[in-house]
Order: sequence, then C-alpha cells, then structure tokens
Amino acid sequence: MFRLLPIPILLCFVFPIAGTAKVVDETGIDQQVREIAKTLRCTVCQTENIWESGAPLAHQMRDAIRERVMQGQSAEEIRAYFHSRYGSYIMMEPPKQGINWLIWLAPFLLLFGGGALLWREIKGWVMKTPAPQPPPTLDETSRRRIERELHENQ
Amino acid sequence: MTRTTQITILVVLFALLALFYQGLWGDPRHIPPVLVDTRAPVFEGPDVESGDPLSSEQYKGKVILVNFWASWCQECKVEHENLLRLYDEFKDHPEFVMVGINYQDEIPKARAYLQRYGSSFPHMQDVKGALAIDFGVYGVPETFVIDKQGIIRHKWIGPIVDGVYANLTQNVLTPLLSDPTPALRQGSGQAT
Repeated sequence: MFRLLPIPILLCFVFPIAGTAKVVDETGIDQQVREIAKTLRCTVCQTENIWESGAPLAHQMRDAIRERVMQGQSAEEIRAYFHSRYGSYIMMEPPKQGINWLIWLAPFLLLFGGGALLWREIKGWVMKTPAPQPPPTLDETSRRRIERELHENQ
Repeated sequence: MTRTTQITILVVLFALLALFYQGLWGDPRHIPPVLVDTRAPVFEGPDVESGDPLSSEQYKGKVILVNFWASWCQECKVEHENLLRLYDEFKDHPEFVMVGINYQDEIPKARAYLQRYGSSFPHMQDVKGALAIDFGVYGVPETFVIDKQGIIRHKWIGPIVDGVYANLTQNVLTPLLSDPTPALRQGSGQAT
C-alpha cells in the first residue's frame, strides 16, 4: 500500500505544472520573423540577436520585420533594408566581402598554420632525439665476476 | 622555432584579439554611419504637443536638423539647452528647419519634459519606433543634418555640447545654409 504512495504525490507535482505550460502556436509569419530576427544583431546589446534580445529597440525591430513580412517582402529584402540603415554591424553573420573575409578564413588559416608549426616542431624533436644505443658488451672479467656472484647467491 | 617566427605568431594573435575586442565590445559611436551621404528617409508623425500631423515633405528644399530624444534620456537633458540656443541662432534663416523626434517614450512624459525644459521648435512622435530604424538610430540623443537636396550630410551620436556644438554650427550648418546650390530634391527618399 505504502509502496504506491509516491504516485499520487508525483501527480500532484506534475499536473499543476502541466496546466501552466504554454502552448506554442507559431504561424508561418511568426516563423519567418524568427528566422530573420535571428540573423540580425541587437544594436544596443551587441552580443545578442534581435530575436533573443529584450531591448525595446530589438522589440521595435521585430515589429518592423513582421510588418515587412506581411507586406510580402522576402527575407533577403528585409535584411538588405536593415543593412542599409545600420551597415554590416547589424548582421550576425558578417557578409563575405572585403576585410570580412579575414573573419571567415582566419580559423582555417590558424588551423593550417598551427598544424604546420606543430608538425615542424614535432619533427624537430624526433630528429634531435638520439637513436637507442646497444648496451655495452661485457668484458670477460666482469662476466665471470657476475656469474660467480650469481652462483654464490644460489 | 626561431625568434622571428615567435614574434610573428604573437603579432598575429594580438591583431586577432584586437579585432574580436572591437567587434564584440566596440562602442557604436565609433561605427562608421552608413546613412551619411545617402538620401534621408521621409519622416512623418503627429506633433508631440498638439497632435497635428508633421511631415518632412513640408520642409523640402531646406536644411533640416533632426534630433532624436526621449524624456528618460539623461544626455538629452544635458544637450537640451544647447538645442534651444542652436535654434535661436539659426531660426531666422529662411532655409533652416529643426525637428525633434521623440523616441521610445510616453507622450504625457514627453509633453511634461518639453514644458519643463522648453520647446521652441516642433517635435514629432515616433509612434512605432519605425522612424528611428529608418534613420539607423542606436540610442538617444542622435542628431542628423539633411541638406537642401535631401541628403544626410552629418550624423552625431551623443549630446550636442561644447566642441560638438561649435563643429555642428560652424562646420556643418553654416556652410550648408550658405550653399547657393538650389534644392534639387525630386520625389521622396522613403526608406524601402
């Protein structure tokens, strides 16, 4: 009987929480707004996109995106509008042009350069390490002495 | 590894760190404004005090100083006296217009602000914040100067004080107002 007691207790915890759970009812427009907003940087919080930011300006930008989506503008047109107002700074993903190429290529260049350096260093260590030498041969006197001492200890 | 290689690696790493620092924590004030030398967007909205409709179309062919402000903005209070002084200095020029745009604010608070600190030029409501986005505004105060042809010639982020005031009046407004080039504005420059 007592073994079943945890079940109603657990249900008491689960159902109130389930009752407060939000039902996400996202329309096609909401989805488009979200997709576009995630690609634009919040200009006042700087490290967040405008979908995730709670800043009033980000909220207004989301409204502006929604308005333009409802007018039938494409995602590229909307992004181009924001780019024309704020420049490349607003793009979460810097456009592949000019000095921005450095940002895109730097990780690969660093990886390649770092790999080449590491290869060179390891190769240097290997070259500098002397080859293992064979153990020195025993002269006759030493060999006889070892054999004698082993024999005495048996 | 030779000493030259080590120094080269360090220089590259520091350069990358500096770029990342600038990109992630850079002050928007130092970001080059993309709207300067481009056609100004058409801006329209109700007057903050009277509620009457205002539009940039009625100022065609004039030099327009646009100032974005809000009643909650401390730096706006710092520059407000200078804005009134600037308007007094240029108001008699027939080709000068000054418009304030109230940004992310509540109208009763904006009206109370103007009553307290003074108001001598019109102020427009940016009802949905759309005007601020059209002008690429980051925060307030921000000031734009539009020439007689409707091209944005100057943008300043921050309060108009001291050297900024002198630069704005002497190096921006005075030359633009004395420019004899007739207004060539054709159609509107609505942001798209």
